[in-house]
Amino acid sequence: MNHETSEISNITTKYFRKFKRDNALEQVDHQTDTPSSIEHDGDRLVIMKGISCRFGELMANDNVNFDLMKGEIHALLGENGAGKTTLMSILYGMYQPTSGNIYVRGNRVAIKSPLHAIDLGISMVHQHFLLTPPHTVSENIIVGLKTNRRIFLDVQNAEKKILSLSNKYGLEVDPNAIVGNLSVGEQQRVEIIKALYRDVDVLILDEPTGMLTPKEEEALFVVLKSMVNQGLSIIFITHKLREVMEVSDRVTVLRNGKVIGTVKTTDTSETELARMMIGRSFVNQTSIESPANNQSDTILELMNVYAVNNSNVLFIKDLSLELHKGEILGIAGVDGNGQSELAELIAGLRKMRSGQIIMDSKPIENISPKHIREWGLAYVPEDRLHTGLILEYTIAENLVLDRWYAEPYSGKLFLKKHEMKEFAEKMISDFDIKITGLSAPVRSMSGGNLQKIVLARELSRNPKVLVVHSPTRGLDIGATEYVHRQLIKQRDNGVGVLLLSLDLDEILSISDRIGVIYEGKIVTIVEREKADVDQLGLLMGGKVAESNL
Amino acid sequence: MRGSNSLKMKVELQKKRPKLLSFAPYMSAGFAFLIGAIILSFSGVDPVVAYSVMLKGAFGSMRGIADTLVKTTPLLLTGLGVALAFKCRIWNIGAEGQLYMGALGAALAGISVISAVPIVGVTFSLIIGFIFGASIGLVPAVLKVKLGVNEIIVTVLLNFIVLLFITYLLHGPIKAPGFNPYSPEIFPQSQLPIILPHTRLHAGIIIAALATIATYLLLSKTKIGFEIKSVGANLKAARYAGMNVSKSILVVMGISGGLAGLAGAVLVTGVQRYLIEGISPGYGFIAVIVALLGRQHPIGVSIVAFFFAALISGSEVMYRTLGIPSSFAPTLQALVLIFVLIGELFTRLPVTKRGGVI
Repeated sequence: MNHETSEISNITTKYFRKFKRDNALEQVDHQTDTPSSIEHDGDRLVIMKGISCRFGELMANDNVNFDLMKGEIHALLGENGAGKTTLMSILYGMYQPTSGNIYVRGNRVAIKSPLHAIDLGISMVHQHFLLTPPHTVSENIIVGLKTNRRIFLDVQNAEKKILSLSNKYGLEVDPNAIVGNLSVGEQQRVEIIKALYRDVDVLILDEPTGMLTPKEEEALFVVLKSMVNQGLSIIFITHKLREVMEVSDRVTVLRNGKVIGTVKTTDTSETELARMMIGRSFVNQTSIESPANNQSDTILELMNVYAVNNSNVLFIKDLSLELHKGEILGIAGVDGNGQSELAELIAGLRKMRSGQIIMDSKPIENISPKHIREWGLAYVPEDRLHTGLILEYTIAENLVLDRWYAEPYSGKLFLKKHEMKEFAEKMISDFDIKITGLSAPVRSMSGGNLQKIVLARELSRNPKVLVVHSPTRGLDIGATEYVHRQLIKQRDNGVGVLLLSLDLDEILSISDRIGVIYEGKIVTIVEREKADVDQLGLLMGGKVAESNL
Repeated sequence: MRGSNSLKMKVELQKKRPKLLSFAPYMSAGFAFLIGAIILSFSGVDPVVAYSVMLKGAFGSMRGIADTLVKTTPLLLTGLGVALAFKCRIWNIGAEGQLYMGALGAALAGISVISAVPIVGVTFSLIIGFIFGASIGLVPAVLKVKLGVNEIIVTVLLNFIVLLFITYLLHGPIKAPGFNPYSPEIFPQSQLPIILPHTRLHAGIIIAALATIATYLLLSKTKIGFEIKSVGANLKAARYAGMNVSKSILVVMGISGGLAGLAGAVLVTGVQRYLIEGISPGYGFIAVIVALLGRQHPIGVSIVAFFFAALISGSEVMYRTLGIPSSFAPTLQALVLIFVLIGELFTRLPVTKRGGVI
């Protein structure tokens, strides 16, 4: 069957259902005929056919089909790592696809660089702005452009053009303002004008609302709508369902690098999109019997905690949660919704603005990370390479990173290398760590074994509270199962385990209770038996909790 | 979509190096001498003659060797201090100022009453020198820990402050009677004894050797050394593991400044016997090169310090016998540094493309 052509033109929910029924249909060989141009029906500005992009082991895009109509806002929805930004970076000429074709205005093109993309009328506004704060808006906008003048900048003409663009689309901005003095929303408008200034008609916005206040967000949506009314076409990358429903005309959902479907926004619902985005592949492989004893004593409690993020913006807002002895509390959420901040707050690595954290009935405010650990916290951080371990160190040194000062690993002044080595040997056999050598730096070890070192160190503390953040990211199936078994073992021993993970399947398979974190707040906590994947998906996408949860 | 961050190009240090490449630093030094030879022949001197005079000057006689060792002492002490700070990723470029503070401390202690007591006198002078150096070293550390001020700027600028302060003192408050801006001569009991008769070699070299061993033990055997190294190797991991970053920085800068101060004290008690403005020909600055080339390891630092001291004492002989300007020594030092760094670049810094992404 000619799946290829049908899937681009039939943009209906029917397609999406058909697709779900048979994923294998996607594998139709699209390379058999690659015409240098395809019939230009006047509406489809950009067509991406069978795009695959492989980075080493990772299939970032797998036979992706995508098209953009003239004058539409096309949302690209998916979780972190679904391949949204990779796909658009390919369209913007930053990456070359491993296979597949791109047609712009009906002609097949190989987009070699962002400059080439701009020539083709495609520009991208990145998630993180690429502006120089000390310069004015005009200077930022015309930087890198050729002008008629040889030495001096043609600022006057630039200002005129900026003002006309700003009037045309309602992008209010003062060309003479210093960028560093502008708010985030204003800086974004500058980025958009910078893109439009290059006379493009396709604009890619990568998670444009990530750093905006709700009010700025509203203003942005108004601008976007006025832009498409005047003939521009917009690709809107996001993981927030509400935004998709609010601004887009069509939406393409990506998961694990594959297109799950392209639907008209009016034909779909948030629930359906959430299901497409998250999938229901979860199988309960690890059977977990809830512990028979009723150890329901609270071991860790956060009450109305407020804290800032790394950009010094108040990000954790009124966060409360309770962790009991002998349970795994899984916190689901899209990356960047406060997971790292939450873990660091508990570990004493981030200061609270207000609120209270109580561990084992002691408040841990103003207590050093070292003492919090001594009171019974173990913490497996998200980034094992740069936070959990010192890669230049040997396995023994890494294993005592948190207890180098204590008996039996050191005396009053000196380290006891012999005891350190004995401990390392014990951990290597207990945790089945494959090492390259006792005195070699751990740098050359595999991800799974590095994670085992971190686990060995943290679990051998005999903690009361165990905070683990994305503990299986980048690990293979065997290592993942190993980590899960260890977490369950800790739970069975009465440890309170707080599992922060971006992988909903992981959370569903080993948690006793499940919470969702969204924009620095725990928006729900439910028993696993009562968890509804659709609802969790909606909450992760920012839909307000409904009463039936 | 954070995942895509890892797809960008990475410049990585290659950790495994082929055997042959370990000769790279020596070859680099060879290139430096080659360029030096070209400079020499342009100024009308036969480079072979010049280099042999240099070699003989530095090692050809008891006096020469003694002189080289005398110059090794302050270079080694300051080099150890700077290397220790670098190990903790604290960029201490202020060893020269710390050295002068130490020299001031020793000069003042050496004219105090206590210093008239044998053995006690010299010990007292050295300790005061260490303390003076440590206290000026703590200034950038405290500013960094409390206010987050960049230590490079503070240590560099403190050099000027200390040097001008010393100039002021020598022209006023502590000036000895007479025409020259010198401080009064210290008591003989405060002087370091000569350990090789008929030469200038004093006991300072023993102190430097002990300091080398102590630094080695500190870094590789002690608890605080482990903390210091961890903070330097990975600040995030050290903080995460519960280490006290501020304490490490304070301790490191105290010892680093103290070692530089000790170098100054040794110059006063072992060589000059009073404080003068030019007591150090920039040992504290050369120390940065010594620490870098010595790979911040006490053994490496002592080898490089000895090599650079030979360069200095050899070129002094070159100046006396062949009239080659004494500025040739720093020229050679700079050439060695440049070539070794270039060598490093080519052996350790290949640009790797990850996943074919440019």
